[in-house]
Amino acid sequence: MNRKEFLSDCGKMGLAGVTLSLFPWLESCSPKAKLAVQGEKVRIGIIGTGSRGLFHIKHLVQMPQAEVVALCDNYRPHLDNAAQYYPEAKLYDDYRRLLENRDVQGVIIATPLYLHAPMTLAAMEAGKEVFCEKSMAYTLDEALEVYNRRKALGRVLFIGQQRLFDPKYVKAMQMIHEGVIGEVVGVRNYWYRNNNWRREVPSPELERHINWRLYSEYSRGLMTELACHQLQNGSWAMGQLPEKVMGAGSLIHWNKEDKRDVYDTVSAIFTYPNGVNMTFESIISNKHFGMGEQILGTKGTIDLVTAMHYTDEPAPKGSGMHQFIEQIERGVMSNSVFAGTSWAAESSALAPGKPIMQDVKVVSGESSVGAEADGSKELLEAFLHAVITGKQPEKVLEESYYATQFALLADKAMHENAILTLDEKYKVPYEPLK
Amino acid sequence: MQYHHSCKNPLYPTSLCSFVAMHTMVEVLMVGCTQAEGERLAHEVQQRVWDMERRFNRFDITSPLSVVNTKAAAEAVSVDDELYMALEVCEVFRRGTKGYFSVAPTSVVGLAPYLLNASQHTVQLCSGDVQIDMGGFAKGFAAEQIKTLLIEAGIGRGVVNFGNSSIAAIGCHPYGEWWGVGVENPLCKGIQACEVRLCNSAMSLSGRTPNGEYHIINPHTGVKVAQDELILVEGRSALVAEVLSTALYAAPKLERGAILSQFAGYEATEIYCTADGVKSRKIE
Repeated sequence: MNRKEFLSDCGKMGLAGVTLSLFPWLESCSPKAKLAVQGEKVRIGIIGTGSRGLFHIKHLVQMPQAEVVALCDNYRPHLDNAAQYYPEAKLYDDYRRLLENRDVQGVIIATPLYLHAPMTLAAMEAGKEVFCEKSMAYTLDEALEVYNRRKALGRVLFIGQQRLFDPKYVKAMQMIHEGVIGEVVGVRNYWYRNNNWRREVPSPELERHINWRLYSEYSRGLMTELACHQLQNGSWAMGQLPEKVMGAGSLIHWNKEDKRDVYDTVSAIFTYPNGVNMTFESIISNKHFGMGEQILGTKGTIDLVTAMHYTDEPAPKGSGMHQFIEQIERGVMSNSVFAGTSWAAESSALAPGKPIMQDVKVVSGESSVGAEADGSKELLEAFLHAVITGKQPEKVLEESYYATQFALLADKAMHENAILTLDEKYKVPYEPLK
Repeated sequence: MQYHHSCKNPLYPTSLCSFVAMHTMVEVLMVGCTQAEGERLAHEVQQRVWDMERRFNRFDITSPLSVVNTKAAAEAVSVDDELYMALEVCEVFRRGTKGYFSVAPTSVVGLAPYLLNASQHTVQLCSGDVQIDMGGFAKGFAAEQIKTLLIEAGIGRGVVNFGNSSIAAIGCHPYGEWWGVGVENPLCKGIQACEVRLCNSAMSLSGRTPNGEYHIINPHTGVKVAQDELILVEGRSALVAEVLSTALYAAPKLERGAILSQFAGYEATEIYCTADGVKSRKIE
């Protein structure tokens, strides 16, 4: 089920209003909102046309409301790749020159982490609306500066936290807020891969330029590149922010073949004011468990990645006897298939669970670029809509802001071997999504 | 316990209770009783089963069976009527199945595991290695007990289901001449391998567990039997059907016919399931 079908189905069930009132940032994706901006075009400049930038371009070419007029990258092969999709676009190797282009209304920034904040600030100062990849910034101070400056300038600012726009996450959170799994008592996130996280380097002097994710000078590694996506699950589910953070990180495997200095294994615990813990774990030298995000409640569990609901007290199977009852109620007779060698206890671990919606596309988390049907396309559409209307959607930026802050804080806790709380000066007004 | 009553068909109101006992799910379907009567019977059934479970539970150190297991190797232990009778019946079944049914399958390979003294009402284990496990007996025994209880309470139609593997029918389906029970192909969930028609009769299935594990022990060797077929036994008593299906599964194929012939009125079938289909063979 794609987003359009999801919203359409909500409408048929009389849920559209309810869903949109629960999740107001989705309003831009409603048929009514889309109709209101039909025919409008947004002139976009893309800063950073590497793998993630190209991923966005492949979505943008499908969107009639997007007109990419400028492309920028200081690595020529990437720029040339992108130019094939938009031969008419002006090409730049310096983002500052692109920002001088008055034709550009909005920019999409898909560059190394350490450039996110300076580029976002410069773009907003230049009068552009901004979509910047996650994480929002390389430091806690930079994230705050970006947040405050956006507010002062009144610009549209989106951060690439696409789960907020993924229909299966929206549906899952709606169920959680309705109490389907009872009281939330735990949040588990993990992301395992077994690859060196490297990109091919044509020449040794480009190593740090291309493999910036592996060096702490440019990136905070697994926390800002992966965890940031998952850390919003706890606040979205519970409507509150973590109170303290602890963690441990190590470089245990991939440093044997290169000179990287970001952790390749991390574990972090985020404790909420009500005592509930959210965990994040990532290892990139074993991929057996893949990517997982689970909200644990007193009555059951929702797996966000697979969009499955598991109850802690599965009803006794009893289908054979119930079939007999249904037959008798209807005055008919048939056989009932239930006999077997023995009954197997349906413990919650063995219970098969139920899908929370139909035709869910499960994302494995293996790709370092992005995956189809993970909310990225919808997020981009929402950004374009916001640029057209000039209206920043409610709550989304704060959610992204705190995902970044807590990813950075956890990284800091690992390096300092300490239990940390977010300093008051970094706290911005937060309204729960629930 | 879960209890469900339906009177959507006023001619045949139905009551269904389900609860966990003896490590399995027990379901009892009763036709033709009021909601209150059904509920009362359901509680009585549950209590009866739980009493049996306590009596036969070797892991409960206070159970009579546990006392036998811990003390009866050293000296004869006096037991109550029900346990004595159960052990007596088990010994009859052991002999009747050429030793392929045993409540102590790992203890004394091929030999009688205990001695009974009828005049003293005592049991003595034949060696310190003997541990009695009534698991292969208790479910069939309990199913028979429930069936009797319900018939005495005036229930003329119903089904007693012990974990889907031991099923006893009272009378027949209100709209047919039997209760049609489909045996599921263990390799194809929800797909029927064969149908059993029960009317005042019972059935039992033995084979690998739903997880595919071999769990039935050959008392003559003390090791788990690695056969992939299901053994289906049909006949009057749920207890005999249960005992026979276990014994026939454990016995070599060539001996199965001879064992079955000792139990008049019981039929047994070997069922071979694959993902592509089912083959079956009557044991004769």
